[in-house]
Amino acid sequence: MNSKFRDLLFINALAVLMGLMVSGIVLLFLGENPFYVYATMVQSITSDRYIMAEIFVKTAPLILTSLAFGFAFQANLFNIGAQGQFYVGALIAVSSSLFLQDKLPGVIALVVVFLLTLLGGGLWGAFIGYAKAKYQASEFLVSMMSTYVALAFMNYFLRTFLLETKGEYPQTDPLNPSVWLGILVPNTRLHVGFILSILIAVGIYVLLFKTALGYRIRVVGHNADAAKMAGINEKKIMVITFVISGALAALAGFIEVNGVQHMLVQRFSPGVGAAGIGIAILANAHPIGIIFASILFGALQVGGVMLGQTMGIPSSFVEIMQGSVMIFVIASYFVREQLEKRREKRKLKKVVAA
Amino acid sequence: MESPYLEMKHITKLFSKVVANNDVSLHLGKGEVLALLGENGAGKSTIMKVLYGLYHADSGSIRINGEEKKIRSPKDAMALGISMIQQHFSLVPANTVTENIIMGNAHGIIDWKKKEQEIQALAEQYQFDIDAKAYVRDLSVGAQQKVEILKALYQQAKILIMDEPTAVLTPQEIDSLMDFVKSFAAAGNSVVFITHKLREVMEVADRIIVMRNGVLMGSLEKDKTDEKELSRLMVGRELVKTKRDEEQQEKEQADCLVLKNITLKAENEIAKLEDVSFSIKEGEIFGLAGVSENGQQELCEVLSGYKSPTSGTIWFQGEDITQSTIEERISMGIGYVPADRHKFGMVMDMSLSENMLLKSSFKPDWYQHYFIDKKKLNAYTASMIERFDVKASGPDDLARSLSGGNQQKVVVAREVDNGETLIIFDQPTRGLDLGAIQNVHETMFGEKRKGKSVLLISTELSEIFDLCDRIAVIYKGRIQGIYQHTELTTEKIGLLMAGYQEKKEALV
Repeated sequence: MNSKFRDLLFINALAVLMGLMVSGIVLLFLGENPFYVYATMVQSITSDRYIMAEIFVKTAPLILTSLAFGFAFQANLFNIGAQGQFYVGALIAVSSSLFLQDKLPGVIALVVVFLLTLLGGGLWGAFIGYAKAKYQASEFLVSMMSTYVALAFMNYFLRTFLLETKGEYPQTDPLNPSVWLGILVPNTRLHVGFILSILIAVGIYVLLFKTALGYRIRVVGHNADAAKMAGINEKKIMVITFVISGALAALAGFIEVNGVQHMLVQRFSPGVGAAGIGIAILANAHPIGIIFASILFGALQVGGVMLGQTMGIPSSFVEIMQGSVMIFVIASYFVREQLEKRREKRKLKKVVAA
Repeated sequence: MESPYLEMKHITKLFSKVVANNDVSLHLGKGEVLALLGENGAGKSTIMKVLYGLYHADSGSIRINGEEKKIRSPKDAMALGISMIQQHFSLVPANTVTENIIMGNAHGIIDWKKKEQEIQALAEQYQFDIDAKAYVRDLSVGAQQKVEILKALYQQAKILIMDEPTAVLTPQEIDSLMDFVKSFAAAGNSVVFITHKLREVMEVADRIIVMRNGVLMGSLEKDKTDEKELSRLMVGRELVKTKRDEEQQEKEQADCLVLKNITLKAENEIAKLEDVSFSIKEGEIFGLAGVSENGQQELCEVLSGYKSPTSGTIWFQGEDITQSTIEERISMGIGYVPADRHKFGMVMDMSLSENMLLKSSFKPDWYQHYFIDKKKLNAYTASMIERFDVKASGPDDLARSLSGGNQQKVVVAREVDNGETLIIFDQPTRGLDLGAIQNVHETMFGEKRKGKSVLLISTELSEIFDLCDRIAVIYKGRIQGIYQHTELTTEKIGLLMAGYQEKKEALV
């Protein structure tokens, strides 16, 4: 167990390093010295408290959207539409916040907004799960296409009911500071949403691995026939899974609106859903692994932005970095397995020789 | 002394957690039929896969005609005239017999007519009734095996390895396979026959190698040994045939399960079950004999609640359960050991304790304030592992990591415990080794003594005869008749299984 954990840390660190090396080759083509660039990146994100906090600001919604994918994945379902559920969440969060901010005290308003977001995301997910359970519609396609529906809704509302009082841009009025999520570290943007998303990840872990519902979800995911034979209603499980998955992604919208943006603008965090899929795969859909993988991706995103600002390196370089790190981390899973096998074999050889 | 045709010396093969072969040495002569006998997991297939180049030994050497050979892949093995027929065939169902046979050995433009003629001639030479143009998907399992053999013959195999070749065959097909093996060896070729069935060994082998736990237990001439010695070497102890209780309680027992006119028929299809009626008494083992795929699986699905019958009624302890859900039936105490445990019985990527929870995840016993009581569950699983002699290191082992026989013991343990009133066993011992079979049979007797009812569905006649009180025979979804076990002979039951109806003497 101990050596297994050592492998996990060591091999994953190595994989991240290799990923950075490969993307470093791209930097050579740009005429930059990769070592210098990376050194600058590390230096720029560690030297400043604000920027370091920014990593966790980026991490929080990633944790939630990758949980959304990973949770459904445990039931062998594919929720490709976390982006859409994120928009639904953001839309509900902003409109209910605007409506409640003058009527209720801040904390109570936030709790209500939180619950409404869960409800909205859950219903959105329930529709996908129901289409799958009742009509055998591909949840992959339904969830993916529903993203565009959500996007269209958001754009429509931003131009109509939610349009700012000035009526200039398709965006909402800023939220009253009373419904902002509290700041954790003064003079940074790091807000309570980060803690919330970590707590939720832990909660999802407990739900999946310690409760009857989570157990049934995993049984359906691993072997739907055996689940049915054991009296588990797999259709019900499908709907429940999508309700939870949708609610998770919607929460990401809530913490982005009430924690960071404090308003809803058009073209809002367009990559958060897709990044979530990658992170969940990276973490093997394990909720605790998702926390760490999200931090890694948050750091890469912030680092990439810093490179753009300080050295003028194109922002698409971030994606190259993320992609190559992901490939190596996924490959490292097999390396770890191989190492484990060899270790067991060595142990056996000693037994046989004795 | 002349060196033997094939020699394997001091072969050791380690998998990550198991010693599959430990210092195994064997030899094989020309014209010899060698049986590799051992229980599941004894390492018989592994040593032959090393010979065939599928696995690489960690140490040891292989010699052919006294010359050391390195076999890195099946291609190397084939070049040396070694061919192996896997337990699970490696044929492409969508291709024809000819395409399958020449696969991997054809280059450039193929003259199909010529190839087909060649293969047809080869089939006729060995009296195989195979059409070279037929699609593999249309062939019976027995015929598919013949295609595999033809493939080996086409590659001019001198050493033919067969891994559990009789597991999927009917008695008649087994006979014809045995004839082939004998004639193939008589022509100066060698055969390695991997099996765990003693009867076959005594019939076909010249020499027998017994393996246990990856180690060679003995090499014996067939003429100088007997089944008793072999089974002792194989299992490590002598097998005791499970005995039925002779003091039969004659008093009339109440019916536990009653099926009345059960029919299962999808629209525009022939009926899978037609007018099936029988009853099982308390404390009775009721046998359902029949060739597989005559409605047994469907009957199980109807009984477990997986499918609803088109018409008919099921009574369980006086209650109509025809419309009850699977969950309700489980909680009424109906246990079910499915024939296909991979599909219906287990979750391979979950731990043993999670698999033990499978059927009782609705019972509050396993929870403490909504959370699974892991301690209690693990303790329970550990006790079941102990009681049913499952070879596993603990409750946290993945089901996948166990051998087939041990997986089956886990399913049996769970269902016997959950099935408080009735337990359905569908092919419970198929593919199990002797020790495990005995274990399952004893369990069935034990549960019967406790007053539980048992439905045993089996294609294995000896099992039906040894265990059951009453026996029904199923053919094409119909019950051919219900008999006391003393009323039937092997011959009579054989005819019933083949669809011959008796003239109205059946006791219903």
